[in-house]
Amino acid sequence: MTAEIIVVTSGKGGVGKTTTSASLATGLAMAGKKVAVIDFDVGLRNLDLIMGCERRVVYDFVNVVHGEATLKQSLIKDKRHDNLYVLAASQTRDKDALTQEGVEKVLDGLSEEGFDFVVCDSPAGIEKGAHLAMYFADHAVVVVNPEVSSVRDSDRILGLLASKTRRAEKGETPVTQHLLLTRYNPARVAIGEMLSVKDVEEILGIEVLGVIPESENVLTASNNGIPVIVDTNSLAGQAYSDTVARLLGEERPLRFIDVPKKGFLQRVFGG
Amino acid sequence: MNARMETSDACDLRFGQVGIACVRVRRVDAAALCDELERRVRAAPQMFSRAAVVLDLSHLLDLPDDGAVDALLEAVRSAGMLPVGLAYGTSDTEALAKRMGLPLIAKFRAAYEPVGGTAAAAEPARAEPAAPIQREPILSAPAPGSMQGAQHHAGAVRSGQQVYARERDLIVTGAIANGAEVIADGNIHIYGGLRGRAMAGAQGDEKARIFVSDFRAELVAIAGHYRVFEQIPDDLEGQSVQCWLEGEKLLIAKL
Repeated sequence: MTAEIIVVTSGKGGVGKTTTSASLATGLAMAGKKVAVIDFDVGLRNLDLIMGCERRVVYDFVNVVHGEATLKQSLIKDKRHDNLYVLAASQTRDKDALTQEGVEKVLDGLSEEGFDFVVCDSPAGIEKGAHLAMYFADHAVVVVNPEVSSVRDSDRILGLLASKTRRAEKGETPVTQHLLLTRYNPARVAIGEMLSVKDVEEILGIEVLGVIPESENVLTASNNGIPVIVDTNSLAGQAYSDTVARLLGEERPLRFIDVPKKGFLQRVFGG
Repeated sequence: MNARMETSDACDLRFGQVGIACVRVRRVDAAALCDELERRVRAAPQMFSRAAVVLDLSHLLDLPDDGAVDALLEAVRSAGMLPVGLAYGTSDTEALAKRMGLPLIAKFRAAYEPVGGTAAAAEPARAEPAAPIQREPILSAPAPGSMQGAQHHAGAVRSGQQVYARERDLIVTGAIANGAEVIADGNIHIYGGLRGRAMAGAQGDEKARIFVSDFRAELVAIAGHYRVFEQIPDDLEGQSVQCWLEGEKLLIAKL
């Protein structure tokens, strides 16, 4: 039984990769899967903050890659979910500290430990860190914001996924590509300030897996070290739940993509 | 037992595309040939000085004798070029090449080969040293061969990718993203959106055309004549169009 490897990537920085990695990993764990989430952003580690385990990092990903610690020692158990583990990045090293063989060894080790899913949180860019994060992937979640530069960078990443991954090099079935639109603001889409779901799908030529609405809850959750998917009251949290369900093969309609209709009271008193 | 294994890494043998100029001799006059070539070398030394050239004798009424051919080859040499072989002609040319110890260059063979004619000889000649810098495409796999169909690329061409159809047409069934490039020595047919760049007739074929079913290009070019689109004209955006060259002018019209 090998673990399914999901890379969360985007090309562009600041679009929500780490937020997405944390929520997808947590969501998969909530669905009963055994999940590890790895921060590939060596030198600029953030995932531990979003997952709320920054004070429990003893050994990190680079230590395991270099054989300075075992996988067991480095995996940090999530405080809310027993079947969710975090493998933090090193903050003091740079991305050259990762090697392809080392990453493969870690991923194989996780498969042996009986993990169902490994979520790889890719750094921004298309250099070594991002390359290694995507290289062994079975699935890719490409995070994109509804604006042109993000869409173009995602297009570049989709091209790399189709050519610079192990599956591509070995001529196996290609990496499954999913698009996740984050920071979506239906009101701004309606007045033409943002690209719509349809625009993005058309430009990139693939369907979206989910649309995460722009929401203040995301920032609050991040600052508190809680993946936003745990906050079931927030729209973003619900949208991530839908996304995880779709990733597991369930069919769910897209929500939060239209401007919310104001209720009677809101119309009277202003909303 | 594995003698072959031990030597197999000694070299790669393949048919590459190398830039060889062809000197088509119109009259057997070594002095005139030398003068003319010298003039060309002086005009473009970067291009022609010590350039590999092939001597094409097929436009002469009668094949000159060995002495005359020797004089012609010497004329090429003294002009500053390096004759590396003879262009394929009749079986007499073949015999002549054998006597001179020169290879026959197969690339030029097809044009002169009578139907059902001999297909022997010539192949070793392709291993020429003087390869010009070739654009290394990321996504193309051109197979050598004299009769080539179009190259087909299924699916999208993503930003940063480049598809090159060498010595043939290119058909893309998919969209070409902003920042992606499709190039062909022949025509280009795109059954999808063109948001990136398309360059047809990359080796200078001015008759090459580009056909697009959904036009939003950044740039189109034919035989080096290009147009960039900072703003796509309203009447062309999203339309099926074709692009062709009329003289120096690159024209685009709805289909």
